[in-house]
Amino acid sequence: MYRYFMLARRRTLIAVLPVLTACAHPRIGAGPGGAGETRAAPEESCLLSTGGVTARSRTITIGLSEAVDPRHAPFARNDAERIVFRHLYDSPVRIDCDGHVRPGLVDRWEKDDGGHRWTFHLREGAQFWDGAPVTAQDIVFGKGGVGYTLAAPEKSVVALTFAKENDDVPALLGDPSLAVTKPAPDSSWPIGTGAYWATSATTTAQEIRAHTTRGDTLVFKFAASGDARDLLDAGVDLLITRDRALRDYAATLQNHTVVALPWDRTYVFVTAAAGSTRFDAGGLEQAVRAEARRAEGSSWWLDLRGCAIARDTTPPASTGQHRILYSRGDPTARELAGRLAALTHAVATGRAPDDFSDALAGGKDWGYVVALSRVTTDACRSAKDLPTWPASFTALVDTRPTAIVRRDVARWTVDQDGTVHLAP
Amino acid sequence: MRFRTRLLISFGVVVMIPLLVFGLGIRREMSNRVTAEYTRRVDALVNVISADIARESDRIAARLAALKSSLVADDRFHSWVVRGENRGYVLDYAGDAMRLAGLDFLQIQDDDGRVVSSGHFRNEYDRLGPAVPGSGPALVRAATAESSFLALVTSDTLRISPRRFRLIGGIVVDSQFLARLARDPELAVGLVLPNDTTNADSGTLVVPLPPLPYVDATEGPGRVEQARIVVTRSSEFLTALRHNVNLWFGAAVLVAALAALLLAGWLSTRISQPLEARIAIGDLARQVNHDIKNGLAPLRNVFRHFAQVAREKPADLPQVFAERQRTVESSISYLETLAANYAKLSPQSERKATDVNSIVRETIGASGTVRTKLAEGLPPVSADALVLRRVIENLVSNAVDSLEGKNGTVTITTERGKNIVRISVSDTGRGMSKSELDKAFDDFHTTKPGGTGLGLSIVRRLVLDSNGSLKVETETGQGSTFIVEIPILS
Repeated sequence: MYRYFMLARRRTLIAVLPVLTACAHPRIGAGPGGAGETRAAPEESCLLSTGGVTARSRTITIGLSEAVDPRHAPFARNDAERIVFRHLYDSPVRIDCDGHVRPGLVDRWEKDDGGHRWTFHLREGAQFWDGAPVTAQDIVFGKGGVGYTLAAPEKSVVALTFAKENDDVPALLGDPSLAVTKPAPDSSWPIGTGAYWATSATTTAQEIRAHTTRGDTLVFKFAASGDARDLLDAGVDLLITRDRALRDYAATLQNHTVVALPWDRTYVFVTAAAGSTRFDAGGLEQAVRAEARRAEGSSWWLDLRGCAIARDTTPPASTGQHRILYSRGDPTARELAGRLAALTHAVATGRAPDDFSDALAGGKDWGYVVALSRVTTDACRSAKDLPTWPASFTALVDTRPTAIVRRDVARWTVDQDGTVHLAP
Repeated sequence: MRFRTRLLISFGVVVMIPLLVFGLGIRREMSNRVTAEYTRRVDALVNVISADIARESDRIAARLAALKSSLVADDRFHSWVVRGENRGYVLDYAGDAMRLAGLDFLQIQDDDGRVVSSGHFRNEYDRLGPAVPGSGPALVRAATAESSFLALVTSDTLRISPRRFRLIGGIVVDSQFLARLARDPELAVGLVLPNDTTNADSGTLVVPLPPLPYVDATEGPGRVEQARIVVTRSSEFLTALRHNVNLWFGAAVLVAALAALLLAGWLSTRISQPLEARIAIGDLARQVNHDIKNGLAPLRNVFRHFAQVAREKPADLPQVFAERQRTVESSISYLETLAANYAKLSPQSERKATDVNSIVRETIGASGTVRTKLAEGLPPVSADALVLRRVIENLVSNAVDSLEGKNGTVTITTERGKNIVRISVSDTGRGMSKSELDKAFDDFHTTKPGGTGLGLSIVRRLVLDSNGSLKVETETGQGSTFIVEIPILS
């Protein structure tokens, strides 16, 4: 059965629909309580409708169709790492699908100084997996950004100070890269603060087992055969995919619900050759097998003037080849590069993710198909991955993942960035 | 040139010339046969390749026909044609169908030649596809997202509702495909495309097949040109074969020449030795005859005189005898000397440890003419003492004679060499010219009045019989040195 992001409450759906369609830029929504000391309200509107769940199973299984590298934590590089890291590592706050700030490591906050300063209070008993308490210093150390400063005036208080007034609850602390971690001496997994913990001992080539102190277990299971349908046949409780064929297959399964998630990714064509993008970007959504639409909404990467990023003024020297690069592990990027190659008589060439990042930074090739998150809590922070050379950006398509959820097993919620996780 | 040498050369020529002629003939025949066989194989392969290409083309056509039937019956494709639905299905159709049909290239084009669905490059839809000729096989250089490849294609057409479509399918033409066509590892099959500027190796023979239509569709629909599949055979194999033939032929000639020379040497020795012996005996017999006649002539005259006196004046016979006795005795003495010299031609020797210096001293006795420079502590040599004495006697005698009664010296020197003892007999006499030296060791050659001409000949044979060697250093007017080397007793 296939449903379009069916929300739990129809009334909420009506209210939230405009919000979802505007997910192209960071939502800085006010907390339900307004200014002053604030606690987050329940996020029923962001729950995936997967049937009535009376009691969560002690063991939940999540299928993964991509590789997970613990060394990347907490910076996820693909959908699989995103869902795993979200369960293991807490950021100070979370941004739900409506753009509302939700508790994370901090559970209350208040506005001071007319919106110039926001004070966040660590939740009671926040601690690392090894039992060490989390302090405000753990959150602010090495962090900060353009237009704001982070400080730890007290052991459990984080102060966020803006140059300008900010009346809405700041979503800056919801950036997953602000998740608090510390190195683990005997594990490839950094020690986090999330409810679930994992170590090298609980990780095999077939699965990652994460546990809570209460004895609950989350099993992240890989598709050993390379065919994600096997995961569904094996009875996983959740599988996130961008493959329409897998979505269609799941729709035939009686115990599963197929839920379309928010449009979370925009593919852009980046080139230094000014005026060279003479191709018709219309109909590109047909070029990809993922669920795609024509790129919509505002694009945070187009206006980064306030970020004070040092930009090169001259384009890099070209290799002379009419070549379009894409990241090899991204099938949608490959298909878009292929289509652009067909339209421009160029050659599409795949690169390993790290090599692709290096090539993009160098800018010597004619063009690049780059996947960008549609929403960001901190555009200036996200802009660090963009080239510093004078580039033109052409938005190609938006894509979104699909959640395949086993009914009546657990309550799942989705964040603003499209990450699905167990509801608190 | 010695008889034995002439014989050796004659034998060599007689054996080598036929061998060379025979070998060259075989070499030429082999080369011709190999070339002819090669040409026959290439011609056969050209026919086989033509048949293979036709068969591959038929196979592709059969697969396209099957796809055509399937496509006509496909409801989703039909709904796209009629109502524009299922566009994604149509875009993916050629990719799935291409894999199922075992093709490497598949395009569905509309009536305008635009790509509706492409199996090898899904996202080239709406581009103008290759302008492949209507029937028969063709070569297409097709683009993929990452690169381009060459395909052998055929086409078919179908009609769905009001629209007409064209199916173009094919298989990749790569090095493996060409290698499969070649079959023969010594032959290569290649492609010559219109823009191909690579020249065949000068040592390569190129045999073209009938041309195929060729379309380069990497930058657009392209235009129909001509391409050729060619069979190339490298001259390397033939060259290597000829090289091997030459090598083995050379080796055979070398071995045969060596064998021929050995055979010629053996034969010449076997033939020349008795001949030379017979010639020497003949010469000796004539010389003996002559010498004896010379010795007998005075005797005959004396006896004829005695007979006449006895018949006519018997009383004068004692007086006449007394007068002619001297002549008779002289003739008898001459004949005795002659007999003794001939006897020396066949000496019997017995080799044993011999002190060279002692022999030298015994030989020269108290002669004041001959000086000696004898090395002390010489090891004994392996020689017959009598033979050695005869050698020294002859050499000393010749040396003294060469002084021709003038002032001069004869010196005997002994010294030790490597495994030999060297005896040198030097004189300050008249020496020898080159022509005299060439004949010096011939039997009966003499430059001395009354000489027998056997001295040096005997010396040479005696030295060789003793496993020694004899050398001569001479210069006209300056004297000569005869050097005899006799091996030390081991």
